[in-house]
Amino acid sequence: MVKKLTFLSLFAAVSLMADSELDALKAQLQEQQKTTQKLLQKVTKLEKKQQQAQALQAKKAKEQEDASLDAAFAKDTSSSFSQTSYLPDIALILNMSAVGRNVKNSDYANFAIPGFIDAPVKPELPYNKERGFNLNYAEVAMHSMVDPYFEAFAIFHLHPAAFEIEEAYVTTTSLPAGLRVKAGKFKSAFGRINEKHQHSWHFDEQPIIYKALFGPDGISDPGLQVQWVAPTDTYIMAGIDAMQGSNTRSFGDTEINNLYVGYLKSSLDLTDNLSVLGGVSWAHGKTTEKKSSDVYGVDLTFRDQLGSYSALTWQSEYLQRNKDTNNTIVATQKQGGLYSELVYQYNNNYSAGVRYEKITKNDTDLSAYTNNGIDTSNLDKYTVMLQYKPFPFSRLRLEYSHDRTKVIAGQRKDVDTAMLTLNIAAGAHPAHAY
Amino acid sequence: MKKIFLTVLFVTSSLFAALNVDTTYSTLGAVAKKIGGDNVHVVVLGSSKYDPHFIVPKPSLLSKLRRADLLIINGGGLELGWLPPLIKSANNGKIRAGAPGFLDMSHFIKMIDKPASVSRAFGDIHAQGNPHYSSDPYKVLIMAKVIARKLEQLDPAHVTEYKNNLENFLSQWNGYLKNYDAKMAECKTKKVVQYHELYNYFLRRYDITNIGNIEPLPGIAPSSKHTLQLMNAMKANGVKKILQDVYHEKRTAKFIAAKTGATVAVIPHDVGSVKGSESLEGFYNMIAQRICK
Ligand SMILES: [Zn+2]
Repeated sequence: MVKKLTFLSLFAAVSLMADSELDALKAQLQEQQKTTQKLLQKVTKLEKKQQQAQALQAKKAKEQEDASLDAAFAKDTSSSFSQTSYLPDIALILNMSAVGRNVKNSDYANFAIPGFIDAPVKPELPYNKERGFNLNYAEVAMHSMVDPYFEAFAIFHLHPAAFEIEEAYVTTTSLPAGLRVKAGKFKSAFGRINEKHQHSWHFDEQPIIYKALFGPDGISDPGLQVQWVAPTDTYIMAGIDAMQGSNTRSFGDTEINNLYVGYLKSSLDLTDNLSVLGGVSWAHGKTTEKKSSDVYGVDLTFRDQLGSYSALTWQSEYLQRNKDTNNTIVATQKQGGLYSELVYQYNNNYSAGVRYEKITKNDTDLSAYTNNGIDTSNLDKYTVMLQYKPFPFSRLRLEYSHDRTKVIAGQRKDVDTAMLTLNIAAGAHPAHAY
Repeated sequence: MKKIFLTVLFVTSSLFAALNVDTTYSTLGAVAKKIGGDNVHVVVLGSSKYDPHFIVPKPSLLSKLRRADLLIINGGGLELGWLPPLIKSANNGKIRAGAPGFLDMSHFIKMIDKPASVSRAFGDIHAQGNPHYSSDPYKVLIMAKVIARKLEQLDPAHVTEYKNNLENFLSQWNGYLKNYDAKMAECKTKKVVQYHELYNYFLRRYDITNIGNIEPLPGIAPSSKHTLQLMNAMKANGVKKILQDVYHEKRTAKFIAAKTGATVAVIPHDVGSVKGSESLEGFYNMIAQRICK
């Protein structure tokens, strides 16, 4: 294009000129032509260079592509359908103990707590039952996101002779307005420790009042839970659990979902290090006799964080049950009790704790005991423990309890238990609960 | 009394700021404040006085997470021991992992010390690599850029402000780094030991060699056998500086110092860990001063 225009303009100029100037012009023209040719040569040279560069680049790109293809070909394709990255988080928890007790196993298995666990009902004793060695359970806990809206959890308890779905539920992750719904089989959020699993309690033995009112598993049922966290500076949480009500200790009518649990929890930071968590709970259900049963709970926990690995925790709970019965002497049983525990965590490795428990209210028909001269007053229990954690995932605990709540073989009997328990958590990192 | 109750109940922070930004640690919080300016209300969840691996999951943190529009985490597994149950119980879909309001800073950092094999037999190691990248002042540039982009995405009404804040901050921080590098070029300390591998990013940036750690394995308390080995290694290498964090016991470091003639320097691991380290500049200045002194 440039070439053509140059020539045209040059020729046009030439024809307009007079003969006299022809020679001079011819000379000029020759010179112009020379310059043009030189320019042309330069252009071709540059074009050639550019082409070469492009070719080189293309060649390189092709080589790269080939190389990556080669690499891809060389790659093992057996994992094409592998889904390991979608596997749930899995944790394995083992809990075992060595137990010494001043009561024979056969007698212990039939103990009574006057007014709460009375013959012919036998206590359920899934943990630390035998004098000597116990493998309490192997727990397998799994957690996985289902999709952006649901999270799934399952906790299986494998006892030496039983497989139990401790919990299996889904929760929502993305509901608006601070709401969350849980559905499946789960432990109710009633009180302070009902929701917690045995291995995350401060003491290996369940508080008497929980054991007496709900048994070793607490309130645990198929159901639906709705919880709401208020959008406030202070933590306030309200929730309702609608459950089947299969817990025969306090409820048990499962003809239809008969148990409703409501609770309100709140927490304040009193100082940077001192915080308090409190809650009130109410469970309303129906007994196997189709009568009304209500359990009320109040809990209060203070925690003073003394350092990264050191804390003082004071946790107390009071539970009371009002239960209608067919009994003609005491139609409405009113029974309650409390526990209060103080745990001092000295450092990463050591902590120690004491617990006091008492049945404070026992308005029920106790004639089966009193008629036989069995004293039913002063039902209380004292526990101390010393804990050593060589590593965050393993725990050794030495626990001693002096239990004055039991009737064994027709007599009030103080039960002294000493146990050394080992709890280990392997696999997915268990996060620390408050 | 009524008044107090009302203030407790009211959504105080969101009245003043467009965006509630929670960060798990204070250095991220300080950078978020620089970029967000008046348009964000920044809450730091984990106190820098405590071990970042073991922040106490106080229920009060739930009310903070409940109202967050954006949660910025350090990542790399550092929050694994305390944050997941809090996120679960805060009932705030905006900040769940994977949501737009969830930002894992470690995804933008080139992680070092990635273990070749992972087992708890080696202690409570960081399987995804060393997550303690905040000690390197250069990482602040990345944090600032990433946070700016996230804020622009979540709060398009203030894009120009975030862009301006970022530009101003980057030029200021680049100037700071130039001075910092010049200071560090004169640093006499070339070999150190530390309690946990908290300062590796800083040490590597400025060619300071870490000879060993006081803890025999991550998360495991010092043993006399390991301490003896460490002291021998220190003597062999002429190490004169022990880097101690604010939250571990200091007895072992003092013991080693007394036996080897080294000095113990308490180094902040996050903004505000040590008095005088409350600003970003104060934090990094203190790291340099105390290591090089
Ligand atoms: Zn670490």
